[in-house]
Amino acid sequence: MSLKRITKELNDLGRDPPTSCSAGPVGDDLYHWQASIMGPPDSPYAGGVFFLSIHFPTDYPFKPPKISFTTKIYHPNINANGNICLDILKDQWSPALTISKVLLSICSLLTDANPDDPLVPEIAHIYKTDRAKYEATAKEWTKKYAV
Amino acid sequence: MSTYEEEHNTSGNSNSRRDLRAQIRNLYQEDGSSTALLQLLAQLIPESMQEELLNEKEEGCPETFIDSLPRVNKCDLKGADACSICCCGYLDDTHPLVVKLPHCSHRFDLECVAVWLSKSRTCPLCRDDVLSHKPKVDISNVELEEDWGMYG
Repeated sequence: MSLKRITKELNDLGRDPPTSCSAGPVGDDLYHWQASIMGPPDSPYAGGVFFLSIHFPTDYPFKPPKISFTTKIYHPNINANGNICLDILKDQWSPALTISKVLLSICSLLTDANPDDPLVPEIAHIYKTDRAKYEATAKEWTKKYAV
Repeated sequence: MSTYEEEHNTSGNSNSRRDLRAQIRNLYQEDGSSTALLQLLAQLIPESMQEELLNEKEEGCPETFIDSLPRVNKCDLKGADACSICCCGYLDDTHPLVVKLPHCSHRFDLECVAVWLSKSRTCPLCRDDVLSHKPKVDISNVELEEDWGMYG
């Protein structure tokens, strides 16, 4: 089941690719993909390209894929290891979600961070108390690591 | 003369087991604190299995519920309709076995949704708690069944 569904998603991505993301297998192993997200224009990540690694569990889509950033990013919900704090990747996962939908959710997380459920409390604190400083640092990291 | 334990080289093992038994006994006598007990028992389970066992708090639907899901007739399925779990068209299969959920009426292949509902209570499309609605009792058949009983 998992392999069939992953192949189907790959074909759909090729036929109708989302505007700001791309994704596909790294090598021969269809359970390991690489994805890229363009920094949303209305965010401090604009102009950057962020890479992510995707690992599908063998019981996909009944369990969520494991997705993490491989490009460094300054964000309250993404930590130094690239782990993403996003409910749909954990307890709010649904088998009707696809990689394309998940990548779009990650894009909106870049535009609208969720500082009330932070993975990096220090960044969340700056986000809440000094938005200009947060935006400046996020822009700086984007220029340094994602351009 | 050596003891059984020495001969079988199990003395260390039995000591640690004795400690474990004592700890479990204490836990039960304290107040049956289930978290502490679970953590202790978790030490006996291989690490790879711990996450799964300790995190799966949410229960799925009973098998009887899944078996009772209403079927969707093949003639009610359109060519483009697809199961959102496997992403395959229903009519790709010559004998599609499609069911709908009781409240939201979202449709899925029985084979796909059965796996999901065995560990979750939510509709994959709208997150409706499928067990939260009281089953409708169809009383139109009640009399008929009673009649049948009389002949039986």
